[in-house]
Amino acid sequence: MPPPSVELRGVSKSYGRFRAVDDLSLRMPGGTIFGLLGPNGAGKTTSIRMIMNIIAPDSGEILFFDRARTDVDLARVGYLPEERGLYPKMSVHEHLIFLGRLHGMSRPDAAAATGRWLERVDLASWALKKVEELSKGMQQKVQLVGTVLHEPQILILDEPFSGLDPINQGLFKELLADYRDGGRTVIFSTHIMEQAEKLCDEICLISGGRAILSGPLDEIKRRHGSNAYRLVATGEVERAADVAGVESAVRHDDAIKLMLTPGVEGADVLRELVGFLAVREFRSEEPSLEEIFIGSVRDAT
Amino acid sequence: MRLDNLRVIAAREYLARIRTKGFWIATVGLPLFMGAVLVLPALLLTRTTSAHRMVIVDTTGQIGERLAAELTESARLERLTEQIEEALPGAEAAALEEKLQGFVPILEAPAADLAEQRAGLDRRVLAGDIDAWLWISEDGLAEDRVEYHAESVSNFVTQERLTRAASRIIRAFRLAEAGLDPDEIERLGRSVDLATLRVTEAGSREEQAATGVVLAYLLFFLLYIAILVYGQQVMLGVLEEKSSRIVEVIVATTRPVELMAGKLAGICCVALTQLVIWLGTVALLTLPQVVARMSWLAGRFEVPTLAPSLVVHFFAFFVLGFLLFSSFYGSVGAAFSNVQEAQQFASIGAVFVVAPMLLFWMVLNDPDSTLSVVSSLIPVFTPLLMLLRLAVKAPPWWQVALGYLLTIGVTWGMIWISARVYRVGILMYGKKPSLPEIWRWIRYA
Repeated sequence: MPPPSVELRGVSKSYGRFRAVDDLSLRMPGGTIFGLLGPNGAGKTTSIRMIMNIIAPDSGEILFFDRARTDVDLARVGYLPEERGLYPKMSVHEHLIFLGRLHGMSRPDAAAATGRWLERVDLASWALKKVEELSKGMQQKVQLVGTVLHEPQILILDEPFSGLDPINQGLFKELLADYRDGGRTVIFSTHIMEQAEKLCDEICLISGGRAILSGPLDEIKRRHGSNAYRLVATGEVERAADVAGVESAVRHDDAIKLMLTPGVEGADVLRELVGFLAVREFRSEEPSLEEIFIGSVRDAT
Repeated sequence: MRLDNLRVIAAREYLARIRTKGFWIATVGLPLFMGAVLVLPALLLTRTTSAHRMVIVDTTGQIGERLAAELTESARLERLTEQIEEALPGAEAAALEEKLQGFVPILEAPAADLAEQRAGLDRRVLAGDIDAWLWISEDGLAEDRVEYHAESVSNFVTQERLTRAASRIIRAFRLAEAGLDPDEIERLGRSVDLATLRVTEAGSREEQAATGVVLAYLLFFLLYIAILVYGQQVMLGVLEEKSSRIVEVIVATTRPVELMAGKLAGICCVALTQLVIWLGTVALLTLPQVVARMSWLAGRFEVPTLAPSLVVHFFAFFVLGFLLFSSFYGSVGAAFSNVQEAQQFASIGAVFVVAPMLLFWMVLNDPDSTLSVVSSLIPVFTPLLMLLRLAVKAPPWWQVALGYLLTIGVTWGMIWISARVYRVGILMYGKKPSLPEIWRWIRYA
């Protein structure tokens, strides 16, 4: 079976004069958690809706499993939209079977999967209750079960963490990891960078409908690393600035931030430092995704 | 369009609605209510009317006795009493008969002191010994008057009967005085009935004019109510999906057109279920075997029969009319985000459903007039008005065929437009769209 990948090639979409997505190309490979990041209004939801064939792109191509998308592919996707809800008057059980059947499951299969999943999220005793009788947190669980009931190969979640209570956030994260470990693909959008930083393997930062940064997270961080180190030591710390390869040494509270000349290895500098200092801590300072993002947006404009 | 999805959505829609208490209350309640409206007043009248105890004083000595006899015996009462005696045990029958007659006349001779007698009768009315007293005198008759004294004089049904009976007796008395034979006069003066016969392909059949009207009225209103009510339900259903935010979850695997088609199909089946139950009840109650058992109905009221072809037209026009108006209502529900805004716009559609009501009597009275023919061929009116014409008098086949063709064409166009509005509107939240905006959706969707 081909990897559960999703690819956008030169996709654009305008609403009137407003260009929501502008020549966006990106590849979401199988077996990863992929984060689509950007501030509100960056074009995340529009991109996801185009991937889901809810709206048609003005131009460009969208590929699933490395080939043109078909209707059958969409039934192998689990989609959780940003605007989500359930029929309040339906029973939990019936509702999940209904969602399963819309994804091409037979009624017995959908019923069996519903039973299994409700068990897993501790809602088995609520199966026959009406959706409206459930608490908001429980409804979120039902929503999640409805998204994964048909064992999709690709999971697409639009702002999945907005409005989630902490317990359900944990449940979502656990599920995302399960999916990645099972060789399937998770794509989710968020505007909260810390979340993406903790969960994603790959990311794409979009702003104003354009991709401004994309690739594996660790690679991006390395690329944007400024060769900064944090030093905690006792002794003649002022002399650190004189070591070869150190451009500046600035005191921050009890620590010193060292900026090394690009290309200089941290290990070489450390060897010099231990000669005259009692070093307690010396570690590379990676920039946060937020810093990278803000920097990239500034550079792009 | 994938039929699998359509079926799943239609089935959900159907079951969700069929399972509500409201559906069954309406389904069972409406026939019960209509039956109650027809039967209850008659039932209440026979149950609660007590016999009217009335003293008759006749100073002329010529009329009182015959009037008393007339009040207790009439051809219609006799027929009823026979039926009652058949159906009920003796004692109960006697009590009911007395009630039905309505009068217990008590003849009293005029006393020497008339003023004193009148005062005495008033006292007896007030004491409740009697309900009323009737005073017939020479002076009164000269002025064509008979006095009726009672505590309440608003019992117009009783008074009406009394007036008729008294008039008949007095007229007969006067005729006899003039040397004429009252029976002969009665026979000569009888008015005629208009025997109405309906000419159809299957041959002439005697049918009361009122029966045809009742049937046409029944079918017309059933169709009218069903189209209006279920059209609204489609709109509210779409609004509910939009406001509960379920819609985007569904359109992820389903095309919006499939969602709309499934919704229409599901609700259409709900309506058909209800209509089949209603018409089935009517058909069952009008079976000759059933009618024969309800002897109290016999002779009073001609039972209409539902022609099978009319039933087929009824359902065909319902489905067409439903699709025409509901696809419109569905797109209105999709275009707006709250009920108030949608209602405003939906009233445009309601105008076209209600307009045939204004033409109802015109078409009923003259189904072949140019105006009737033309208005029944205007597609938005066809389902209701063509059905009405079919119920009253079979129109030429080509008019029926043309009506169907035009309506199918317009319905198809309406579904096409609605699907486009629906597709865009269903994912739009917030701002109320303007008409030019909706026009753009139709053109570019």
